[in-house]
Amino acid sequence: MAVKIIESCVNCFACEPVCPSNAIYEAKPHFLVDSKKCTECEGDFPVQQCASICPIEGAIVDSFGLAFNPPGSLTGIPPEKMAEAMAELQSH
Amino acid sequence: MQLPVLNDAPAAKKGGCSASSCGSTDNQMDSLPDSIREKVQNHPCYSEDAHHYFARMHVAVAPACNIQCHYCNRKYDCANESRPGVVSELLTPDQAVKKTMAVAATIPQMTVLGIAGPGDPLANPERTFETFRRLSEEAPDIKLCVSTNGLALPDAVEELSKHNIDHVTITINCVDPEIGAKIYPWIYWQNKRIKGVKAAKILIEQQQKGLEMLIAKGILVKVNSVMIPGVNDQHLAEVSKVVKSKGAFLHNVMPLIAEAEHGTFYGVMGQRGPTPDELQDLQDSCSGDMNMMRHCRQCRADAVGMLGEDRGDEFTLDKIEDMEIDYQAAMEKRKVIHQAIQAEMDSKRLEKAEKAAQHKQEPKLTTRPVLMAVATSGQGVINVHFGHAKEFLIYEASPDGVRFISHRKADQYCGGDTTCGDGESTLQVTIRALAGCEAVLCSKVGYEPWEQLEKAGIQPNGEHAMEPIEEAVMAVYKEMAAAGKLDEKPETVRASA
Repeated sequence: MAVKIIESCVNCFACEPVCPSNAIYEAKPHFLVDSKKCTECEGDFPVQQCASICPIEGAIVDSFGLAFNPPGSLTGIPPEKMAEAMAELQSH
Repeated sequence: MQLPVLNDAPAAKKGGCSASSCGSTDNQMDSLPDSIREKVQNHPCYSEDAHHYFARMHVAVAPACNIQCHYCNRKYDCANESRPGVVSELLTPDQAVKKTMAVAATIPQMTVLGIAGPGDPLANPERTFETFRRLSEEAPDIKLCVSTNGLALPDAVEELSKHNIDHVTITINCVDPEIGAKIYPWIYWQNKRIKGVKAAKILIEQQQKGLEMLIAKGILVKVNSVMIPGVNDQHLAEVSKVVKSKGAFLHNVMPLIAEAEHGTFYGVMGQRGPTPDELQDLQDSCSGDMNMMRHCRQCRADAVGMLGEDRGDEFTLDKIEDMEIDYQAAMEKRKVIHQAIQAEMDSKRLEKAEKAAQHKQEPKLTTRPVLMAVATSGQGVINVHFGHAKEFLIYEASPDGVRFISHRKADQYCGGDTTCGDGESTLQVTIRALAGCEAVLCSKVGYEPWEQLEKAGIQPNGEHAMEPIEEAVMAVYKEMAAAGKLDEKPETVRASA
């Protein structure tokens, strides 16, 4: 049981100091989780700390690959609105 | 007096009143107690006057953040962007110290080092305080500043008071949690992500508590607020009152920057920023209660140089790696240069006061106030061609004198293309940026822009090249009054509001 940091991570360092198991480490091209150390915060906190401070939707996933913070959950931007804005910008 | 020759330094110019508010009643620093004025007079971010002489830099050592603001996108890094929260190269404390000393030795006018992000400096306490601790020891002639969203501030006050830090900037956009919930989607607090009004309430409490604790410690506090039309614009006068009553010395209301391509909530959702008129009206309405800051350039979290310029490219990691800095020698040199600049500023301030007194002696006009734009690269004179101006300073001329109002950017935020988005030309963009002004004073204006400016109701004027700004603005104002142009309301003024 371990969380995973995936490629959308922007290397903001926020998660590293809040991990109770010291499982998160700086790496290239982005931070990584040592799956042997990660406990998903069980016994320490009721919620996963890295996923509670991470500002990037989708960057941290659970052992099934599901995002703790799905699109729109952190920024408040409805995903369809974001898609619309990006399509608009691409067309220029 | 002759200043020593510096790279890129403003040339010493004698005569005339230099920077802002010649003949004015509201120099933003005038109402401060002497003890505070002394601390801030060579800080480029605190007066329009000082920023033509002294430089500042930010080191990007603080990547993590503990809150989300709707005007910020944590994914951003663009070399062409110049706005808060954006950086190109994250530094370790060791690299930051090296960079700071390299800049201080190369640009002796650099007096202030700030940590402003790209996240929240106090959400990265180890990196931030390690940088401050080392700089207090190794470069004691540099003033240290920090800016914060305030969430972690109460816990940091004790540590802040140990270093060479005499200014802290807190971004306070509201004192009402209902309004806060529309600006801050979440905070990370006591091991939980908290959303909505509850989150805003905690943030506001922490900000206010931190402000009070800093004041109690004798640390100067400046408050930044982002003006968001329809969200907190009606509320910021209240914020100004509250923070003043608690002892903040300066309030800096900045316009929201929101473009869809920034990927921020406000950008994508189409939230607009305030017009220059709206910003000025709000600043004026707060100024009865508070010293307002009007020359903020909203710079990047890794900016280097004079306000409005960025020399960060000269000090990238690979470049500072090869620099050998003898800081003791640099400090000697810096001291001499700072004294010379101070003497120059003092003499200009004296001349300005004399001019203002002279103006008061003259028969008073009864005409309406007029906004004018000025193209200048500093030194208090009109010295930039219209087409070369990257920004314009906006002055208001009235029977009471001339006062500095704000600056307006002439180029797009993304400095890439000459056209952007809807295909507007740079000239059209610039003319739009000057909305509300009735004259533009520059060293020269080309034929095409001249025609377009006149069409837009903005009188181009190239007759005052190299003259001191305030004197030229007043001269043009008097000409307009004599020509009867101020007897009636102009058509274009305030049309943009």
